[in-house]
Order: sequence, then structure tokens, then C-alpha cells
Amino acid sequence: MNRGNLACCACALLLLAGCSNNPYPDADSATRTYYTTFVEAHRTLDPAEAYNVSAHKVTGLVYDTLLEYHYLKRPYTLIPGLATEVPVAEPLADGGVRYRFRLREGAGYGDDPCFERGGKGRRSREVVAEDIAYQLQRLADPALQVQVREPFSRIVGFRDFMTALEARRRADPAFAALPARLQYQQLGGIPGLRVPGRYELEVRLSEPYPQLLYWFAMEFSTPVPWEAVEYYDARPGRARFADHPVGAGAFQVVEYQKQSRVVLERNPNWYGYRHPDAPAARYPSEGAPGDAALGLLDPAYRGRPVPFVDRIEIRLDKEDIPRFGKFLQGYYDVSKIIKESFDQVVQSDRLTPEMEALGVRLQKAVSPSVFYLGFNMADKAVGAAAGARGRKLRQAMSLAVDSARFIELFLNGRGVEAQAPLPPVLAGYPEGYRNPYRQVDLERARRLLGEAGYPEGIDPQTGKPLRLSFDTYATSSQVLLQREFFVNEWRKIGIDVEIANTTYNEFQAKLERGAYQLYFYGWSADYPDPENFLFLLTCDMRRIPHNGPNSANFCDARYDRLFAQMEVMPNGPERNAIIEEMLAILREERPWIELFHRIDYSLAHEWISNLKPFGMSHPMYKYYDVDPKRRAELRAARNRPVVWPAWALLGVAVLGVAPGVRTFFRNRQ
Amino acid sequence: MLAYILRRLGYGVGVVFGVLFVLFVLFFQIATPDDIARRALGEKARAQDIEDWKANNGYDRPLWPWQDFRDNQLFTHYHSMLRFDFGRSDVDGTPIARRLREGVAPSLTITVPIFVLSLLLTVLLGLFVAFFRETYIDIAGVFLCVLGMSVSILLYIIGGQFLIGKLLHWFPISGFDLDPSVMLRFIALPVMIGVLSAAGGDVRFYRTVFVEETGRDYVRTARAKGAGELRVMLRHVLRNSLIPILTRVVVTIPFLFVGSLLLENFFGIPGLGSLTVDSIQQNDFRTLRVIVFVFSLMFIGGQIATDISYAAVDSRVRLE
Repeated sequence: MNRGNLACCACALLLLAGCSNNPYPDADSATRTYYTTFVEAHRTLDPAEAYNVSAHKVTGLVYDTLLEYHYLKRPYTLIPGLATEVPVAEPLADGGVRYRFRLREGAGYGDDPCFERGGKGRRSREVVAEDIAYQLQRLADPALQVQVREPFSRIVGFRDFMTALEARRRADPAFAALPARLQYQQLGGIPGLRVPGRYELEVRLSEPYPQLLYWFAMEFSTPVPWEAVEYYDARPGRARFADHPVGAGAFQVVEYQKQSRVVLERNPNWYGYRHPDAPAARYPSEGAPGDAALGLLDPAYRGRPVPFVDRIEIRLDKEDIPRFGKFLQGYYDVSKIIKESFDQVVQSDRLTPEMEALGVRLQKAVSPSVFYLGFNMADKAVGAAAGARGRKLRQAMSLAVDSARFIELFLNGRGVEAQAPLPPVLAGYPEGYRNPYRQVDLERARRLLGEAGYPEGIDPQTGKPLRLSFDTYATSSQVLLQREFFVNEWRKIGIDVEIANTTYNEFQAKLERGAYQLYFYGWSADYPDPENFLFLLTCDMRRIPHNGPNSANFCDARYDRLFAQMEVMPNGPERNAIIEEMLAILREERPWIELFHRIDYSLAHEWISNLKPFGMSHPMYKYYDVDPKRRAELRAARNRPVVWPAWALLGVAVLGVAPGVRTFFRNRQ
Repeated sequence: MLAYILRRLGYGVGVVFGVLFVLFVLFFQIATPDDIARRALGEKARAQDIEDWKANNGYDRPLWPWQDFRDNQLFTHYHSMLRFDFGRSDVDGTPIARRLREGVAPSLTITVPIFVLSLLLTVLLGLFVAFFRETYIDIAGVFLCVLGMSVSILLYIIGGQFLIGKLLHWFPISGFDLDPSVMLRFIALPVMIGVLSAAGGDVRFYRTVFVEETGRDYVRTARAKGAGELRVMLRHVLRNSLIPILTRVVVTIPFLFVGSLLLENFFGIPGLGSLTVDSIQQNDFRTLRVIVFVFSLMFIGGQIATDISYAAVDSRVRLE
């Protein structure tokens, strides 16, 4: 074979080797790997700072917490994780409370070179209570961009520690140059945190705050090894701790390419292998009603130790359409439904026959979130200053908005009509609750409008329809159309609402100045407690003057009193009664027009088992299982390269050119 | 020649100063430090978090010298860039120099094959079409070129992903991996699209150059002396067409390092093009200014290199 032939063969082989749409190395197809995606590169994976869904997909796997959520039960229920049990609040004489956590012995961090500081060749070490105290001190460290300080500031001395740390760093450069851990030690730590034993942690709060337990089910309060923080300090050639997570979770990061993928494998030192009977180390034996019918309580899995998968690969895939295409080809195990393909996937709220033929399963879950239209209660026309007139105006506008139609038109039916700020998946939501001002009734709306002093929507001062402004930061024509939907709804009762579209930042500036009347917003729960929604309408959380998230600037003394009572109570009938009273205030005052609670639709391939949408930002991948053999078979069957068009194209080109070439040379001769 | 290069470098310094100033003005016309902070922290960030972030990152200081002559952001902007102190990303704190280093390989992985294949293919096709000038092959070729030029690269990308990735299953729809066992699969489709989308304009340009050359006296002389058509085209026409080819080629070289904004973004290739788009979308001023700065330097370097290459291939050209 001469050189030319050899080169041709090499090129052909190269092309043949490349001719496959499998984005993974072929050897990976036999592994028990769960494949999923993230849509934006992580800003940080430091558990003190990471506060978005993309980051939690990794930190939630790497960093185990003292408490966790039961995988299947709804309403959401806390179970022990690294802790041996869920602690009970112990009241203290000074009005505060104390929580005592006991850690499981023998829990270990994922293997990492940072532990060599403890001895040559050492790759891991045991998790101790000091590590949690250290992380809670990091939350108070002003050098870190922590967004959840407020709930932890109820720990006795938390704020003072923060202030002292900042002041000492400023005054003493030698102190500031020390590793953060030594700085914390020199300041004596946070007084409200005590570590009486290797596995014991006491947390003292200045006031009762039962929701603290939910924060101990989030990565913010995970044990962090100080060795990792000090080792990964971005010295030349070394990653930052924010890009190199080291934790005590069921999985450890073995490859992190920030701009393309994260690969995790089982952490051999995870506490679950030493304590297989721990509640979060086994697949649950009981769940919510309906779980058994969905195959979520399969005897093959019930009570079996987790995790089932050996490896998790999370790929960065920003664009919706290619991402969804790869899911259909079988290269991602689960997917959300993109709006461009919704009709091809779901019709009449069921999977289309094409999707069923692919063996895809559809799962739906109401997420603990709420989307609403808010009134600025500080505005003189629609707010509290307008007294009963303003209230009736808000009630009338609430009666005119048809959430069901909005959900149908803009969300493809993926929403539950909201009756209250609380989503129905939370404990404390009144069963079957119907808000009389959230049922469309244009007649009553017009009557109320008349009583408010705007008969047929006419403002007596101008003699024209009442004119209001709806401030928004629509970034697409689709969003603008959604806003126009509300304007049309209000036009039906004679009110002329003008959309004031602006940039997000200008919108924020308007909120800060109080220069707005109506707005659209949403809220997703950090934790499944009614407090996490109802606090949004307390006086202390007002945008003006406190810069809080209460953009409606709603303030009602009775509501606040009830909130203060409800906040510290355990779930139960007494708490539910108070919640109902609070909802009654909101029902009449109408600072919000509650619109919908999102329903998350997700798709999963037939080879993945035990998948139940969780709703909150906690990756539950340790409970999932995959059948790699079946996946490989189906992938191969669905992705056979179709090569005839290439030959056809080549044939057309040759046939098209050949006569011309022949004629040309004949003429030349 | 040295004086010429020094003079061009002098102009370049002025251009870089101007570019940095325009970037600063335009960026802060559109975004404020609050915007940058909000994008870095997320929508749940409270006002105090935003203030803390600005203070930690130096965005709480005045923008302009007339607000504070000694301590303003414009001065810091120039000071950092001219010392090549690239700093850290506003969004995630990653050292920007590292991001640039990490982004170069993925960018070059697609831009170099596109550049080489595109050059070979379009020059050959240009020669081919010019060779058959005034036949139906020439007319059809020019028609296809104009058609190709008229189609947006977005259509090539979306159509390519749909047809080749989704329907024909030849290559992955998108994605990237430097693992040698799969790298070829990932780069094949963007490279095909890159070559195809540029082919129309390039073939048409080269055809024009070659057709013009084939009418010259030396070509007629070569033919009269009995040189074959292939020899005439490859030995004489191609060699004498090098100046316009070089003009087009050398100017392109700096762009190879900057990557392809659209291809990288749509295919999820973590190169410098993707970094540029991300930094614009995320209001990452510090990363964006470094990219603009580096690109300006490369562009100026490319211009000077083009001039020098003229002199190298054509002894009649003098740089003074």
C-alpha cells in the first residue's frame, strides 16, 4: 500500500471512529452512572456561599448534613442524617433554647490530598463536632459572601463574633494574616456554640426558632474540614476551596471541569457504610399515599442500603433544545420539558404516544413555590393609605384575574391555582381552602369597584378610567405578553393599567424608592415551613424602610402578632388555626393576588428507578438506580448513524459535475 | 521596516487606550456596580449582601477621576490592564488569567481545524470553479456560494444540530470533551458547520482572484510554452494570488485564539468565545475587559503581521 492509500485509510478510520453521537467514552456505558445536567457554571461550591440550584446539585451530594428530608413522605419530614437523631428544643431560663446534636461515629470525609497534613499518605479523616462549629463560624466570617446569615444570627453571639472578627482584622494585620481557623480560635469562637465532646455539638439560640432544624438539613451547616479550606487557598497551581469541595457526603468529586462537567463517585468513607441502619442510609420502607402505585416502594429496594449508583456525571448544557435532544437520544437520564417541545411531549396532560413508545415516564410534583401579583401598600392609590377604598380596589382587581386561564395559556397547564401564599404541599395548608377573592367574579368586582369610588372603573377626579402602573422587567416578548394578560383582565372591569417595562436593576431601584404600584413576583421555599412564606408579609421584612423581601410593604400589627406566635410553634392543629387566621387577614387585605404554584413536570427514561421529584433544591440521587445494560441497548438502537444521505449527496455532486468536466476537456482537445 | 513597525505599535497603544476607555464607558452606561453584584449573588441577595459584595470587590468607589482623583475605578481599570494584572472574575472569583489559559485549548481545537480545512477546501474549490469558468459548473458554483453567504450561521448551527446530530446521529448534538477517545466526535460537527458557513464567501472571493489572474499575460505565456492546465493553475495562478489570500488569512489568525462566539456558545464549547458571551450576559466586567484588551493586542499584532507578510511574499512591497 503506498503512502497515499495509507493516508486515505487513516482518514477513513479517523472519521469512522468519530462517527457516533455518544457524548461519553464507550467504556462508560457499562458503568452504573447517573447522567444529568446543570445549566450554568457554578459561581462557587463553598457550602457557606453556594445558594443556587446548579451548585446544590453538587454540594448536596458532597456535603452531608446533620439532618435530612425523608425521601418519599409528604408533607416533608426531617430525619437524622449525620446526627443520630433529630434534636428537640430545650428551653433555657434566659428565654433562649438549646439544641444538642450527637454525630454518628466513624463518618469520614471523601478522599483528598489535603488530609496529608495529618500524616503522610493520609487521605481522609473522621468527621467531628468541631468541624460543624468551624463551618458555623465561617458563616459569620465577613470575608465570605454568605447570604443566609440572618437565620443563623439567632445563635448566641453570632453577630458579635462577626463584628469582632472584622474589627480585629482591620486593626491587627498579623492577626489578619493567620489562617481563618486560628483567627476564630483566638477570638474564642461563637459563645452559642459548644463542643462538649468529640461527637457532641450544642447550639444555643437567643430566642426560640424551630426552623433552625431545616437549616441544619442544608449544606450551609455541613461539617467542613479545616484542612481543605487551608489547603485549597488558590495558591499558584492549586484550586480554590470554592472549586474543590471536600465533604462527608455519599459522593466525592473525582473530576471537576467548571465549564463542562463534574464527575462524582462513591465516597468510601461515608457514614452509611458503617451505619447501614441509619434512616438516611437506606431506601425508605414507607412513603406518601400513591407512592406504591408509582413503583416507589418496590420490595426490591425497600430498606436496602443506598447509594445504588456508583457514579454521577453532571454535564454543563446551557441550551434547552440540544439538552432536550440528548435526553431523547438517551444520553441524559432525566429532563424537564422545554416549552418548545411541550406539545410533542404532552397532550391532554398525558404523554404523547411517541413518548410512550420511547419508554419515557412523566412525573409531576407541585413545587413549594408561589407566584403572585403584588400591590405596593405604601402607594396612596392602591395601598393602605387609601383605607377601605384601596382595600375594595385590591379586592376587585383580585376578582378579575383568572389564574386558571393564565396557567392554561402560558404554562401549558403546569400550575395549581393559588388560593393563598402557602403552597398546598406544606404542613399547615388548610385542606380544600378556597379564597373567595380568587374566584373570578366580574360582577362582584365591578360592584366593589363602585364601592371603592370608581364606578365602572372611572376615576371621578379625571373622569377617565382609573389609571395604574404595572412595573415589570420583562426580558422577552413572551414575558411581556404574560404581563399584558393581566392588563386585559383588569380592562374588563374598566381599569386602565399601563405596563412600565424596565431593566431588572431599574426595577430594583424603583422597589427601593417605593415608586411602583403593581408588580409580579415569585418565591420558592428554602425549607418546607409556612413561616418561609408568611414571613414575606411581615412589617420587619418591608422593602421600605428595611430593604427586606416584603415588596408589597404590607404591615399589619395583628398579622405580625400572629406570625410571632406561629413562628415558634410546632406543627399541629393549634398552629394551623393561627395560620388560618393569618390567611384570613391576607384574604381581606389583598396585598397579593396569588396566582399559581408551579407544577414541575419531569421526564425519566425507563432504565431509571425510584425517581420522585423533590421540589426543593436537594439532590436525592443516592436513592436513584439505573440499569446500565438496558440503557446501553436502547441507546444503541436509537442512535444508529444514518449514512446514506452522505453517499447520496456525494453521488449528486459527482453526477452534477462529471458531464461538465467531460465536455470541458473534450472542447479543449 | 523597524521604523514602520514601531510607528504602527505606537498607533496600537493609542488604539488600546481608546478601546479600554470606550469599553469602560459603554459597560457602565448599561450596567451599574449593583447589577454586577446582583448577577454575582443571585436574585435572593439582600441589599446588605450587595453592599458587602461591592465593598469586597472595590465597586463601592467612584467611577470617574472628577469624583475622586486619587481613588476611582477608571484609574484602577487602566492601572490593572497596563500592568497585565488581570485579577479575578466578578462572578465567581476565578483568576481570569487561568480562565484564559483554560479557554485557549477548546477554542483552538475548533478554530484551527476550521481555519486549515476551510483554507484548503475553499482555495481548491475556488481554483476548481475558476478552472471551469463560464461553464455551468462555474455558474452553479457561484450560485451556491451566494446562497451559502446569504444564510445566517445560526441556521447552519441549528440545522446542523437537528439534521446531523438529532436525525442522522453522526455526531453529538453539542458538548465538548478533551478526552482523546471522544474529542473528535465533539469537534466534527462545529468544524463542519464552521467550514460550510464560511465557504460561500471564501470560494467566491478566491474564484474572483483566480479568474483575474488567469487572464494575465504570464498565464498565456505559460500555456503557449505548453504548460498543462493543472500546472498553470497550481504553479502560476495560485502563487501569484498569494497576496490577497494572505491578506485574508493572516488577519484571521488572531481571531483563532478568541474562538467563535456563536459556535462555542451553541455547542457548549468552554472556549474564549463562550467566555466572552458569558461575561457579557453575567455582567462580568473584569473578565470582559481582559478579553477586549487581549483581543485588541492580538488584532493590532495581526495587522502588523499582515503587512510584514506582504513584504515577505512580494519583494516589490516596501514597508517605510
